[in-house]
Amino acid sequence: MVNYFLFESSSGYALFERLESEEIGSKLADVCAAATDLTKFGKVVKLKSFAPFKSAAHALENMNDVSEGIMNDHLKAFLEMNLPKPGKKSKVVLGVTEKSLAGSIKEGLGIECDASEIVLDLVRGVRLFGDKLLKQLKDGDLERAQLGLGHSYSRGKVKFNVHRSDNMII
Amino acid sequence: ARGGAKGGAKVTVEPHRHEGIFVAHGKEDYLLTKNLVPGESVYGEKRIAIEGADGTKVEYRVWNPFRSKVAAGVLGGVDNIHIAPGKKVLYLGGASGTTVSHVADIVGPEGLVYAVEFSHRSGRDLINMAKKRTNVIPIIEDARHPHKYRMLVGMVDVIFADVAQPDQSRIVGINAHHFLKNNGHVVISIKANCIDSTVDAATVFAGEIPKLQEQRIKPQEQLTLEPFERDHALVVGKYVRSK
Repeated sequence: MVNYFLFESSSGYALFERLESEEIGSKLADVCAAATDLTKFGKVVKLKSFAPFKSAAHALENMNDVSEGIMNDHLKAFLEMNLPKPGKKSKVVLGVTEKSLAGSIKEGLGIECDASEIVLDLVRGVRLFGDKLLKQLKDGDLERAQLGLGHSYSRGKVKFNVHRSDNMII
Repeated sequence: ARGGAKGGAKVTVEPHRHEGIFVAHGKEDYLLTKNLVPGESVYGEKRIAIEGADGTKVEYRVWNPFRSKVAAGVLGGVDNIHIAPGKKVLYLGGASGTTVSHVADIVGPEGLVYAVEFSHRSGRDLINMAKKRTNVIPIIEDARHPHKYRMLVGMVDVIFADVAQPDQSRIVGINAHHFLKNNGHVVISIKANCIDSTVDAATVFAGEIPKLQEQRIKPQEQLTLEPFERDHALVVGKYVRSK
């Protein structure tokens, strides 16, 4: 069972622990329903750690890597520091929304990763209640970071287009 | 000079049935949105300034249904467009941002528009438009791969899609799975030709319904965009992930 999961936000990386709950089972439908209700959702997930990006440039660098499914050194260090060492008794299964990043993490850290539907629903819950679960952030912080990062990511895409087809000289 | 009511024509503005949209009555009637950046047009559209009862001026921008499928749907009498003040919208296929700018006017400063466009050429115009409208987050990326922009997007109330791709129902679906609230809505513009040009439009529209249901989207309303667009339909549906 997935007992930790990663949430990649515009402001930084967050690691959540998934708690066992009698009320909310491990079935997909239960998690899916819990992810729409903050009180219920708060009983199944707990913020383990949040590492904000240091600057706009740092955020962009990380977004470029995440969107390509690359685990960079910053993400590696964050996971190494905050995930418990897997032992005989404590098994660690990290939920990651996207398969190729899950693969990179598994390869780089030797942690078992899961990118199934249940992870998507856990992440949907965090996305919905974002600034209430990430207590370091204030209302609107995530949106402000999204705005800045959206512009810098998109500008980067347009600028580094090797197939640039406009600016034709006639 | 551009903008403003011309030649002393008497123009009155009143709210449309859909919140955030307005109608001008004058020599001709126009659909309008309240300009979020007064004093400026985005793509050369006309502006109308109206003096309110307290003497303050409010500026509106004319919204052309021949250039915008959302406007065509509104004039076509869509029951609920789900885009309203304060709403968060994921807009797939933002192109140069002409319609996106009107959607930004409607949702206003409390709302947010995540505008995805893959073409770099249109993307530049979209980014420039978004510089002035800070409730628009430009995303130059492929809507087929929402995981690539997952760090930029929060949960949204509605997804509007105008991607003109044969697999657009699937594209809307995967975006909904990531970003659309449970019981949120989708509004999709379907261009029959882009899906299948060998059968008639009505058959194409009917064929999209099961594809949407497969993505947990329950179709609620469908209308054609005549006379503004040929062989286009607007489909409105509800995303039911959890009962």
